[in-house]
Amino acid sequence: MVLAESKVLIGKNTNHLISIDSMIANLENSNNNQVMVVAHRGDWRNAPENSLQAIENCITMGVDIVEIDVRETKDGVLVLMHDETIDRTTTGKGKVSELAWEYLQTLNLRDGIGHSTPHKIPTLEEALLLTKDKILVNLDKSYEIFDKCFKIAKKLGTVNQVIIKGAKTRDKVEKEFGQYLGKVYFMPIVRLADPEAPKTVEKYLLDNVPVAFEFTVPQDTIAFIEQFNEIRKKGSSIWVNSLWPQHNGGHDDEKAVLDQTIYDWFINNNIDIIQTDRPQVLLDYLRSKNLHN
Amino acid sequence: MKKKITLLAVNLLFSSLVFAQEQHRAAKILEHLRKPSKEYILAVSHRGDWRYAPENSLQAIQRCIDLGVDIIELDFRLTKDGHLVAMHDETVNRTTNGNGNVDELTLEEIKKLSLKNAAGVKHSRQQVPTLEEVMMMVKGKVMVNLDKTENRWVKEAYEVLKRTETIDHAIFKGNDDFDVMREKYGSLMDSIIYMPKLWPENKGVRSYRKNYEEAINPFYYEILFESTEAETFKMIKDLKRDNDGFLAIALWDELCAGKTDELAMLEGPEKAWGWLIEKGATAVMTDRPYELLKYLRQKGLHNE
Repeated sequence: MVLAESKVLIGKNTNHLISIDSMIANLENSNNNQVMVVAHRGDWRNAPENSLQAIENCITMGVDIVEIDVRETKDGVLVLMHDETIDRTTTGKGKVSELAWEYLQTLNLRDGIGHSTPHKIPTLEEALLLTKDKILVNLDKSYEIFDKCFKIAKKLGTVNQVIIKGAKTRDKVEKEFGQYLGKVYFMPIVRLADPEAPKTVEKYLLDNVPVAFEFTVPQDTIAFIEQFNEIRKKGSSIWVNSLWPQHNGGHDDEKAVLDQTIYDWFINNNIDIIQTDRPQVLLDYLRSKNLHN
Repeated sequence: MKKKITLLAVNLLFSSLVFAQEQHRAAKILEHLRKPSKEYILAVSHRGDWRYAPENSLQAIQRCIDLGVDIIELDFRLTKDGHLVAMHDETVNRTTNGNGNVDELTLEEIKKLSLKNAAGVKHSRQQVPTLEEVMMMVKGKVMVNLDKTENRWVKEAYEVLKRTETIDHAIFKGNDDFDVMREKYGSLMDSIIYMPKLWPENKGVRSYRKNYEEAINPFYYEILFESTEAETFKMIKDLKRDNDGFLAIALWDELCAGKTDELAMLEGPEKAWGWLIEKGATAVMTDRPYELLKYLRQKGLHNE
């Protein structure tokens, strides 16, 4: 069977549109059987990564969370850009932090083979406006510039859709980020290769548990995986990336695209949020198992 | 169209009758190519389906075969030790996790690299394929359009095609005058399928085509035109008259008077692909093979 990875583009498929309230309810419910799909850098196969079109495609596809990268220009404008420089993904050159918004506006985004497209570098404001009431948003690279991100989200009324993650201990997060806890969703990133991982998790689970943990799982034999079910019972969802093999003990998207039952590893191990580079493939598979309604 | 080709087609038909064999798909595609028609538009995928898998990778080729693409355009360059490998750029820097010029690396060195996906991430598990690996994968299934071989590596490519018995699966192309190609490749030019490009920048594009017509009478041309004012655009009617095929390149504005894949995405396929077909295109090269095929099938222009 040929996978229709790009079927959203012609004859828009909007059968799967979900209300933002039910997405939020789903995110906050760690005990239902629904698996949430996070699209890494938007639908970068069918539109430039971190473009408005890449976000729009995710909304149409029925993705739950779109992951985008935020950086600040020299003159204080927040824009979507993965790399420190704009060289790979735009028609310009230089570091975002050394360039002015006026210049960035003149550029075009490149497609996946490096050719210029009509798409432009979006500001965070444009991106959040597009997502309003439609899809949850994970703002990557935003921790250090979150004051500014938060202001924009507040102005647009999208605070309740914002997810931010960090590989930080509870003490540190409460100290640095305390004013935003309870307003936006903060998810700790815990690397299971780290011997301190169980202790880090334990502290977060004492009270006011986070809405989810992101775990990186270098090997699928790590004993801590068996704790996922208990953690969900305590109220936190389990986010694991299917992006690259080192995130998931080798149960990654590139294996799954050839054999979708690879995704069963996530389902069987109580992982209920998956960040993927193959959102359409994963959605089709989850829907076939009634795990994404 | 010339008699030799018609004879070949008759020959093909005859042998298939005699042996009561089902003709493989690549042979059917070749027939469509030799007999261009408004009833069947050839779908040509640029660098393989690079949205789905790394550009110029076996996975991107397999995906095209699965989708039902007719011709896969791929780029080949020669390594330091004389192997043709699928690589668009002169260097491996953009598309792999390595560095360096293809012609300064050995096949062994290149085989150690991983191809990156379209987001620049190296975890694709795909290697740089050789022309030989590509031809063994496509054999009997689909045709390929060899780019970058131009006036440089036709002989090297031909040797691989001969060895893999896929000479009739490959379409060569280029911009050089016929005399240049004849000078360099001699009678080899009579043994390969060659599709000249008609460039709008070429002031002598009409005599360029005339030379090809007289020498090897190609049955297909790639036509590029930045606007409908381009001389090359005006030559479409000559091709129609001669029953020659017209491959339109829907990739970028300057190649197709703005009737691009992107326009098809933003404003609907009729305004882009539909326009090109209406103007006489019998094949369309695309960065959106899935959507192009969907459109062609809906229009009844891709019934096998």
